[in-house]
Amino acid sequence: MKIKDGYLMREVAGTHVVVPVGATVDFSGMITLNETGAFLWKELLQDTTEEKLLAALLEEYEIESDTGKRDIAEFLARLKAADLLE
Amino acid sequence: MDYIDQLEYTNYYHIADLIIRMACFGETLKRQGRPYLMDKPAPADITITLPPEKLKLLQEKYPHLTLNDVEYIQTGFAFSRALLEFDGFCLHASAVALNNRAVLFSAPCGTGKSTHAGLWQKHFGADKALILNDDKPALRLLDDTFYVYGTPWSGKTDLSLNLKVPLQTIVFLEQAQENSIRRLNNKEGVQWLVYQSLRPVGDRNKMNRLLILLDNLLKKFPVYHLGCTVSTQGVDLVYRTINKERNG
Repeated sequence: MKIKDGYLMREVAGTHVVVPVGATVDFSGMITLNETGAFLWKELLQDTTEEKLLAALLEEYEIESDTGKRDIAEFLARLKAADLLE
Repeated sequence: MDYIDQLEYTNYYHIADLIIRMACFGETLKRQGRPYLMDKPAPADITITLPPEKLKLLQEKYPHLTLNDVEYIQTGFAFSRALLEFDGFCLHASAVALNNRAVLFSAPCGTGKSTHAGLWQKHFGADKALILNDDKPALRLLDDTFYVYGTPWSGKTDLSLNLKVPLQTIVFLEQAQENSIRRLNNKEGVQWLVYQSLRPVGDRNKMNRLLILLDNLLKKFPVYHLGCTVSTQGVDLVYRTINKERNG
């Protein structure tokens, strides 16, 4: 799985924002991400899996595996709800 | 010779410290552009071409608008996109200049930003509180600060002045039962700014430029949220708040 094309993520005054930039994207709002979300977003620019995401997250942040799993599941659910994954 | 220079109606305008080459057919654009007209051609920073054939195609998409309206609206969009190449962007706002500092009242259509700007004129006098632009002022980052400019594209009320005024602050408006103002944190600020900016749809590079400008703006300027009724009390509240924080 990966993030669909046509979005731009950037830090603006300490907040990570995602905005659509593709001509065919039918989502006109914006999303804000926390630091973990921004990290996972970057990982999801290339095709990846939940296992790989967890490994990357645990390498980057000092958190429990269960916490990481839960963060990833919540984040992916949010992306799916917004139809941002393919 | 370019297509646009062969047109009878090609004019040169000085807008937001840039030279704009633009063909104008409709009455509204011609009238609104007059204060920005240059006496003679000069090397253009931005060229806006909207050939009659394209104008007609666009009008078919928006049949409730006249060709005149379509030209006025679309040239405004073209200008706001091109402005991103020159460290500038346009914001949905009514811009009031008072004591040579610009306060921008920004909100979605129908919230009452023009009404609120009108209240400032009533309160401070129309000779002191000047409406730079009542719909889409231009902002540019120059010499590490932001300046607000009037532009010919000022929505339904047609109010615009060809002036350049340093930005003081942006106030985002929402209608409310009573007046209250608070400073927005950066996260809220970026959300309001992204929604109320004229965004370059489908252009990654320009969108990136817009976000860099917003980042810069939020790091330099406080932005506020005003819940407001239509009353001059709201004017006083905003004026006191934005000037207290600046001096204090």
